[in-house]
Amino acid sequence: MNLTDFGRFSDPALLILASLANGPKHGYGMMMDIETMTGMRLGAGTLYGALTRLESSGLIKSMPAKDRRHPYQLTSKGAAALREQLSLLQKLASAGLKRLAMS
Amino acid sequence: MNLRRWLIQLYPRPWRERYANEFEVLLEECLHSPLDIFDIMLGALDAHLEFPYEMNWRLMNMINKLRTSILIVFAAYIGFVIGGMSLYGLADDSPMADLMKTRTNIPLLASWITIEAGAIIALLAIVIGGLPIAWIVIHRALTSSHGDLRYLLVPVLAFLALVVYGGFILSIGFGRIQIPGVLPKVSHDNFPLGNRVVIGGHMFLFVLGAIASVIAVWKMITNTNIEENTLNIPGREKPIKIYDYAFKFSIVTSAAMLLMLVATITWGWLSYAAMPQVFTENWGLLLTNTTGSFIVIFIMMMLSTAAAFFGVMRGYSAQKPVT
Repeated sequence: MNLTDFGRFSDPALLILASLANGPKHGYGMMMDIETMTGMRLGAGTLYGALTRLESSGLIKSMPAKDRRHPYQLTSKGAAALREQLSLLQKLASAGLKRLAMS
Repeated sequence: MNLRRWLIQLYPRPWRERYANEFEVLLEECLHSPLDIFDIMLGALDAHLEFPYEMNWRLMNMINKLRTSILIVFAAYIGFVIGGMSLYGLADDSPMADLMKTRTNIPLLASWITIEAGAIIALLAIVIGGLPIAWIVIHRALTSSHGDLRYLLVPVLAFLALVVYGGFILSIGFGRIQIPGVLPKVSHDNFPLGNRVVIGGHMFLFVLGAIASVIAVWKMITNTNIEENTLNIPGREKPIKIYDYAFKFSIVTSAAMLLMLVATITWGWLSYAAMPQVFTENWGLLLTNTTGSFIVIFIMMMLSTAAAFFGVMRGYSAQKPVT
């Protein structure tokens, strides 16, 4: 599964997957976690735009509600997609840094 | 309508059915600026343009169909209860009751016991099957801002109205309230029109309350978001799929209704064979003709059973796997 299929929601989708990598979270929990990780605050509309796509693609799944909140967790498919995407980013980052160092 | 709910209304209905409740909780915590509102409006526009989840649509339709099927069985059961209570009223005041007490006509007694056994099975199936749904719906009505407590009040008020009216009838019986044309004590040979109106009023109130309660329960359940179709039980690893669970019990209820229907026609036939004169006399509802009352009661039970089986067939078709 390629996150670029999600269009403008591909970056928020990656952030959500990364946020869920250390355990299930509900919407507000993800929002706070992403803000702590990256300093970037996702709006509720953007968060749910990405979240609905991730869920329908089977990359995350909803867990039973707790106090009206629905936690979400990574599926094995989601974990694989996250791993693949992060490796690509890692390669890009190291290649970019090398080029910067040479210039 | 507050801002949060207005913003949620901007999303398409299938999206709301799945996400509205949890999205509202999120908005309670993070709706701070015009930029947040703009972001949600963009999200709603995106959901209208690119809601890409055909499987979710089909799954939602399947669950909605199953839910409606269960509600049809529930409504049919209440209709059957009204018919069954009328049958009890007819039998209880008639010479058939005396005949059954003598225990000489075993087939007649057996058919009556079958009706009573069916009533217990159907009631247990409704209570056990409906308990998880009732728990979620009542819990949500009490805790969610979407919850509508008005519907919850309908069965309670209907019951209270019946109790108050029952008290009124008792007061007439004890002579505390005197109404011209209404006697405190009546018998089969002396049952004036005034008393028929008073007792008929109680029956009418019961039927009205039952219909209003069914409509309220129906509205409450359909207004509850479908993602809440699972229930976690402490100590149980997998959550219960409440609609699948309730549907199994609705089949039991429908089967019990069919059993009671067959037992009722058998009881009617055996009663007629034992005491044909009773069916030409006035032992029916409000002491009207016995045969007429029995036919009305039987038709009501038959229509309720047919409706229940229609619900079951509909539920079966909803459970077919999505292709």
